[in-house]
Amino acid sequence: MNKKYTGFISTVMAVFLAGSILAGCGKGAGETNAGGDGTAEGRPQASTAAEKTAEGKSEFSYPVKTDVTLTYWMQLNGNVSQTVKNMAETPFAQELMKKTGIKIEYQHPPLGQEKEAFSILLASQDLPDIIEYAWSSFSGGPEKAITDGAILQLNDIIDQYAPNLKAYLSSDAEADKMVKTDTGKYYVFPSIKGDDFSKTYAGPIIRKDWLDDCGLPVPETIDEWTAMLKAFKEKKNAEAPLTCYWNESFITGAFGIIGTFYIEDGKFKYGPLEPAYKDFVMLYRQWYKDGLLDKNFSTLDAKTMDANMLGGKSGATISLAGSGLGKWLNAMKEKDPKYDLVGAPYPVLKKGDRCKFGHTSLTYIGGSSAAISTSCKNVELAARLLDYGYSEEGSLLYNYGIEGTSYTLVNGKPTYTELVTNNPDKLSAAAVLAQYSRASYAGPYVQDSAYSEQTFTMPQQIDAIKIWMDTDAPLHIVPPVTPTPEESSEQAKIITAVHSTFLQEEFLKFVMGENPIESYDAFVAEMKKMGIERAIELKQAQLDRYNKR
Amino acid sequence: MSVANTNIQSIGTLAQPGFGSRLAKDLRRNKYLYLMAIPVIAYYIIFHYKPMYGAVIAFKEFSPIKGILGSPWVGLKHFYDFFNDYYFDRIVTNTIVISFSSLIFGFPAPIILALLMNELKNRIFTRTVQTITYMPHFISLVVICGLIRSFTADDGIITYVFGLFGGEKVSMLNKSELFVPIYVISGIWQGVGWGSIIYLSALQSIDVQLYEAATIDGAGYLRRAWHITLPGIMPTIVIMLILRMGHLMSVGYEKIILLYNPAIYETSDVISSYVYRKGLLEFNWSYSSAVGLFNSVINFLMLTAANKISKKVNETSLW
Amino acid sequence: MIIQESVSRKVFNVLNILFMLFMSAITLYPMLYVIFASFSQPADFLMHEGLLLRPLGFTAATYRMVFKNPMILRGYMNTIFIVVAGVAINIFFTSIGAYFLSRKNVMLKRIIMFFIVFSMYFSGGLIPFYFTVKELGLDNSLWALIIPGAIGTSNMIIMRTAFMGIPDSLSESAEIDGAGHFSILFRVVIPLSLPTMAVMVLYYGVGHWNAWFNALIFLRKREMFPLQLILREILITNSTLDMSIGIDAGDQELVGDLIKYAVIVVATVPILCLYPFLQKYFVKGVMIGALKG
Repeated sequence: MNKKYTGFISTVMAVFLAGSILAGCGKGAGETNAGGDGTAEGRPQASTAAEKTAEGKSEFSYPVKTDVTLTYWMQLNGNVSQTVKNMAETPFAQELMKKTGIKIEYQHPPLGQEKEAFSILLASQDLPDIIEYAWSSFSGGPEKAITDGAILQLNDIIDQYAPNLKAYLSSDAEADKMVKTDTGKYYVFPSIKGDDFSKTYAGPIIRKDWLDDCGLPVPETIDEWTAMLKAFKEKKNAEAPLTCYWNESFITGAFGIIGTFYIEDGKFKYGPLEPAYKDFVMLYRQWYKDGLLDKNFSTLDAKTMDANMLGGKSGATISLAGSGLGKWLNAMKEKDPKYDLVGAPYPVLKKGDRCKFGHTSLTYIGGSSAAISTSCKNVELAARLLDYGYSEEGSLLYNYGIEGTSYTLVNGKPTYTELVTNNPDKLSAAAVLAQYSRASYAGPYVQDSAYSEQTFTMPQQIDAIKIWMDTDAPLHIVPPVTPTPEESSEQAKIITAVHSTFLQEEFLKFVMGENPIESYDAFVAEMKKMGIERAIELKQAQLDRYNKR
Repeated sequence: MSVANTNIQSIGTLAQPGFGSRLAKDLRRNKYLYLMAIPVIAYYIIFHYKPMYGAVIAFKEFSPIKGILGSPWVGLKHFYDFFNDYYFDRIVTNTIVISFSSLIFGFPAPIILALLMNELKNRIFTRTVQTITYMPHFISLVVICGLIRSFTADDGIITYVFGLFGGEKVSMLNKSELFVPIYVISGIWQGVGWGSIIYLSALQSIDVQLYEAATIDGAGYLRRAWHITLPGIMPTIVIMLILRMGHLMSVGYEKIILLYNPAIYETSDVISSYVYRKGLLEFNWSYSSAVGLFNSVINFLMLTAANKISKKVNETSLW
Repeated sequence: MIIQESVSRKVFNVLNILFMLFMSAITLYPMLYVIFASFSQPADFLMHEGLLLRPLGFTAATYRMVFKNPMILRGYMNTIFIVVAGVAINIFFTSIGAYFLSRKNVMLKRIIMFFIVFSMYFSGGLIPFYFTVKELGLDNSLWALIIPGAIGTSNMIIMRTAFMGIPDSLSESAEIDGAGHFSILFRVVIPLSLPTMAVMVLYYGVGHWNAWFNALIFLRKREMFPLQLILREILITNSTLDMSIGIDAGDQELVGDLIKYAVIVVATVPILCLYPFLQKYFVKGVMIGALKG
């Protein structure tokens, strides 16, 4: 451009940029939350008519007499959205409103874009009264959500207005630790998995009919697994006797470790650094060489695994009770009556050992937990509404639904009706229950095992879960520790490089024979050079803070 | 010195009117043209420039509650983190390699297809072929990548054909060296039909009379193609190329993630896929924004360079 | 000489046709696969791997699941409105911009072009965009899907290139005849660029047809949802069912896998019909010659 223009151009550019910044300034001010600075601790609870009864705790009872409508933001579960588009239309929600006496206006983020919708929600000034979200994984930690002024600290609120939740938390010290921040603040009405049965969801699955044909028992040790896989290959012409994702950890359990972070005796550990990991890698490498693993090992996806298990290419895998075990049995019901699957125990090295790991979830996973926002003007009502889920009556509603319709009392034990278990319109139990309860998905209540136990349609599923439950996994699973923003960003950087990239690559190369075994020590050394021990250190600090909660 | 300056200046003033007066004259002469352009300019200011301040989150630690203006500044922290990442070199290299390969092979493909289609005589056949070849563009990536994976599996049809020419019968997506070819070729497969449409339209805009005149002058088919067809669509080609250069760093994560696996991270892990994995551990708006800004700056520089070169080489350019 | 040309030309033609047949075959296949899959029995499909040459066990169950959703028809209507109104606005504004940028002897043209292209690369991200649209009062209305995208910069650049290819003599003679710029644009320039305009209609049309993101973040009333959003919901709902701990493996879950194929067919077939419709505008040589006379 002509020199004469440069002055002009820079002026215009400056004007443009200045203009956009100014425009941004003007509008951006509207973005910060009204109560954006300072903490929200100890804010005075806005009072309503109902508070008058809160003076004497024993005087409160449902339903509350009020005209207030609370706004409630939550993701609409897939099962629910099959039939209705807003939670308020479900019989469950109507019953909830009736029983508590509080009207609820539900707001749902678009399916699949919860994260963006959530950020936009927070950035706008208009927060709904109750927000159900995975607050424990809020970026910066739940502590930040409180200090930044989005949600309220609940300690006093629970004390005064949530006796049911309070009682539950007192009864389970471990759960109590999980749902607090490192500094002891409660921030949500948590979603709790109440018992071990419902916490277990996946494990090894083997074709029972093949085991019978080969005259083999369900394997328990690694050696038995090797023998079984070999038999499948020779006698059943299985091209890929074992088919599973490369980063599946169920074999590592036998060696006393797992392929990622875990806890041992109060210390954070990273499996691949442990010497036992080498034994595991060697085993897999041998299996791959002997053709016991799928040759397309690294490119496997769900569809291929389905095809393998159904088409006779594989005899063993690891999958879920429902969409694995159940789906396959269902698919083959008519085609091959002999087809049968069995859930196998996690393999161990020596017979009689107990496996240290398994696929279990925590008591408090963090998702679908309800927080009260700082915009809420009826804090007591919000607390009462949410506390209902933890009461005896509320628990029945959340877990079983409506008496007479979705469940009846059989010998004093709530049991799902035929409407649920054998629906005349061929709806799945999950879909039906989603109308009358919240049993099939998480929420601010204590989930009990009824849903799993009573809706499994096949005995193999229930047996499988019982077998899979029998591990020491709860002792080694990582509890919900909370990193500080600085810790989070430092460890994310290290872990993405070491665990999400380097480890996966090298593991595959060792298994498939591309890396010579001699380079194993260099591999471990490299991980240390990349800073994995620093990541362990950071996590240990988080664990220590967690234990002190 | 000053005397010389004054002389030159006065000569300058005499020879050309000042900038301001030329601008005034231009505004007067093209008054209606400028008025016409006002809605367009307004559109860009409102929807593109006004929100642009959001780009600063790359220099902040963004918290949605505090908002963009309320979040604290961290300067170049995110950029440093990104540049110092263990895998920075690899992911940037892979991004550029994949992008350039797509450019070198994927850019000419639709042009060639358009030129060939243009030579077909039967209208109905041509239209049918056009409609069919652009179909894959509409099939979602998930399905396309599923097909690619099944074709390149150890018992897949492409692997089989490859085997006839001496390749191994092993899942092709297990070999790092094959990833880029698979990515590029499948990209052509999916996009060549759709991409050829713009060139077909450019071909139609060439005056038929030019061809007629050339044939009368005795020019053979190739001469006609060289002297009429190519120059006729050259402006379109050049502009498309310049625009394409401005997408150098934009290798989207969706297709990469659907095709890659750790065994071939070496050649397949690009910036967007790596940042995606990082985001699974810790979703950080500011970090992704910083990476995005880095990509944009490089893209824009490439565009500017391409534009400059194009201006020198031929008349066509953006500005 | 002519005879020689004929022979090599004939060979070329045959090879060309064979090549086109090959291209058609390989580009048709994905669509065929999708169609076959959508009509297959879930259990059979689950077991199958590799090429699909016909539907496995014919069933329309997957389609029934898709159409069970009461919003599908509404989704189609909304999308059609968005496409028609959207493309009209797109063409109008893009043409104006392209026309302006293609005129000679306009001093500020280049710097305006620079700023427009610059804006293609640097954006403020989702949140400021969201607030801009909201402040204009556009949110929760279909206009939020049309106005913020009124001009696609690369499209405008392509149109500009086409406009620049029209000989100045034509617009100048129109000017002499007393035509204002709008007249020149709509009576001279655009009619002479019909193939490019057809491509623009196609690009913008397909863009609107496939779009769902803006609808997702701005629309709150379900009755306004465009087709893609509804289909996306169906897809996600069913695939989360498939992936969930999903204890009950009823028929629904088996079908879940296949839903995405039916969804693609439902979403794509209508828009595929747009191109053949526009092809008639791809007429060779257009009217330059005619106008000259």
